[in-house]
Amino acid sequence: MKHSVLVATALMVALIGVANAGTISGKVSGVAGESVVYVDAIAGKTFPSPTQQPVMDQKGLMFQPHILAVQQGTTVEFLNSDSVAHNVFWISIGGNKKLGHNLGTWPKGEKRPFKFDNPGAVPLLCNVHPEMSGYVVVSPTPYYAVSNKSGDYKVESVPDGSYTVTAWHEGAKSQSKPVTVSGDTKADFTLSK
Amino acid sequence: MRLHQDISAFFAVLIISLLLSANGYAIPAFSRQYGTSCNTCHVNFPKLNDFGKAFKDAGFKFPKDDETFIKIPPVMMGAPAQKELWPHTIFPGTIPGLPPIGLRFNTFFQVVGRHRNNFNAQLPGDPTAPFIPRTDFQTGLLSIFMAGNFGSDIAFWVDDDLSVGGSGADGGLGDGYMKFVNVGRFLKMPTDALSLRVGQFELDLPFSPARSWNLSGWDIYDQPNVGAMNSFFARQENVNNAFALSNAAQGVEFSGGHTYRGYHYSLAIVNQNTGGTPGAGNNVPPTVTYTSDSNFKDIYGRFSYRFNLERDPASRKEIQGAGASGPRDHTYLNLGALYFYGRSVQRFQGQDTSGTPTVLTAREPFYRVGGDFSFNYRTFNLFGQFIYGRDQNLLPVLPVGFVLPSGFINGSPAHFSGGFLEADYLVLPWVMAIMRWDQVKSTADFLNGVGSNPDDSIGAFVSPFHATRNRFTPGIQFLIHANIKAAFEYQIRPQQIVYDPATGAALTSPFRTNSAVVGLDWVY
Repeated sequence: MKHSVLVATALMVALIGVANAGTISGKVSGVAGESVVYVDAIAGKTFPSPTQQPVMDQKGLMFQPHILAVQQGTTVEFLNSDSVAHNVFWISIGGNKKLGHNLGTWPKGEKRPFKFDNPGAVPLLCNVHPEMSGYVVVSPTPYYAVSNKSGDYKVESVPDGSYTVTAWHEGAKSQSKPVTVSGDTKADFTLSK
Repeated sequence: MRLHQDISAFFAVLIISLLLSANGYAIPAFSRQYGTSCNTCHVNFPKLNDFGKAFKDAGFKFPKDDETFIKIPPVMMGAPAQKELWPHTIFPGTIPGLPPIGLRFNTFFQVVGRHRNNFNAQLPGDPTAPFIPRTDFQTGLLSIFMAGNFGSDIAFWVDDDLSVGGSGADGGLGDGYMKFVNVGRFLKMPTDALSLRVGQFELDLPFSPARSWNLSGWDIYDQPNVGAMNSFFARQENVNNAFALSNAAQGVEFSGGHTYRGYHYSLAIVNQNTGGTPGAGNNVPPTVTYTSDSNFKDIYGRFSYRFNLERDPASRKEIQGAGASGPRDHTYLNLGALYFYGRSVQRFQGQDTSGTPTVLTAREPFYRVGGDFSFNYRTFNLFGQFIYGRDQNLLPVLPVGFVLPSGFINGSPAHFSGGFLEADYLVLPWVMAIMRWDQVKSTADFLNGVGSNPDDSIGAFVSPFHATRNRFTPGIQFLIHANIKAAFEYQIRPQQIVYDPATGAALTSPFRTNSAVVGLDWVY
């Protein structure tokens, strides 16, 4: 009996939460290609690390996907699908060069995991194929989205409230703005280099 | 006079090659095709890294899963399923999706030491004067080159220097060949044990002069063998062999193995070297001028073995070593040997035993033999080459009562030796420091220089003071971009001296005409 009450209470809380969740959508303009839009850190609030481990592949001398957005605390699996030797390294996370790291070398078909505990953009490089470029964008919250190539994005399941929302693009300065979410909310960004 | 012409021609070629060499090639066409940087295959273009060597070995394609890397799909010359119909159909192949054309251009600026004045005996503007300016801008080459793979492991390469003074200026060609990679598979031989190359190509030298990253070439590869023929001295040699190992060869080449690990061999059968220089043609009257004799086929062979020295046995067999911070060139020791055997042709107006005028042909056997090594540790590469050259010296026989020779007898062979030692250190991925020592030992070159006239040709610019010519060449190269390079080298040149052409007496003290050369080089 006690167990049933707990389950029912949890369901109600969840339903209330969903009922109060909205979306942030809009367009990132001024740049071409994909952008990442995410809700910045929320004071006093923490989020459990996701258990899902997305894959960043190296295939055909390219990072695939080119941009991977993850929540802070996510472990990303770096896969080498090529029959040539690759390497993955980054010189900074969010511009902090102290967080630079080199994952080394591993053969075709194998993965190497890395847990991203710090938020910010991670520019991925390969030291034998200098043209290879990829990004992991680590969002401090679970509220993030990768836009389509036209810049349209939609961040879902954002609880109503006031936040700072940041738009990131690999070739432009990031832009942050306050956004008050109440149901479906619009927020457009115009980025410049 | 003929002596001076011969020497002049030889040294003119030498000087021009020093100024305008560095005719190596990086291949932008491959960058476009695979969507990758020059640095995938080059350390400091055109110097190949281990992956570049494997790419070349495989016939200008990725050694494994090539099709997965191509960003511009090739054009099919027949559906793959047509293979099943063969021989009742043409075997399907491919051509690159984009014309695989690359261009290269370079330009130089040279500063020559003050001792050049020893040769400036005439005024600027005199076409016969060996006037050496203090500073000089020179355009280098404008090369067009094409390379790729037609499918079925058939590779091709064509290059030509279009600039005046380049290999193509007289309608000639740089290199142009097809390579049938791994044809040994038809004979159930181990993979890559046998490939076949046909056309005009650079000999399979340990270090490619045609694709050298240095501003000036390695002297020993450009060394001909012109015997002593200076009338000041009793030593007379009837050798005028313009062959140099850097020469392009026409023929076929069988090769196998890999250049990035294990064994590698090549055996080339190429057209006979002829006298080659204009001087050789002048040995007979114009009405009977011969400039070519290709009846004999020269042979070139090379064998090398490369020991990859990583502790991890699995890593040694890979194309690149696996370092803690990423793939890199192996730590290795490569040892090799080469041998070239040919015949050098000279023709003379002579008489047969009955006294009837005829043309006498001297086919002088010659060989070049050498050893080489290359040691690489991370970004440091030390390598060297030694060559010994020997030409049979057939001296004309003038029987009593004859005014022209009737045959030849063996004289003392004409020989030379030398080599180079070079250290390359990649200070940064875009900065390479170079230290090089070239040495050529040729007593004949020394003797021929005595009494050469500093006023009558550019050839007198090089009149060695010793039989051994040492050149030290420190240099540094910067990759401005992966396809743009600025290079500098300072040549501490061999000691020279100017002699009185009439008496052979020394007119100057020994001196060096050191020079500094700056080059800009780009491919696109």
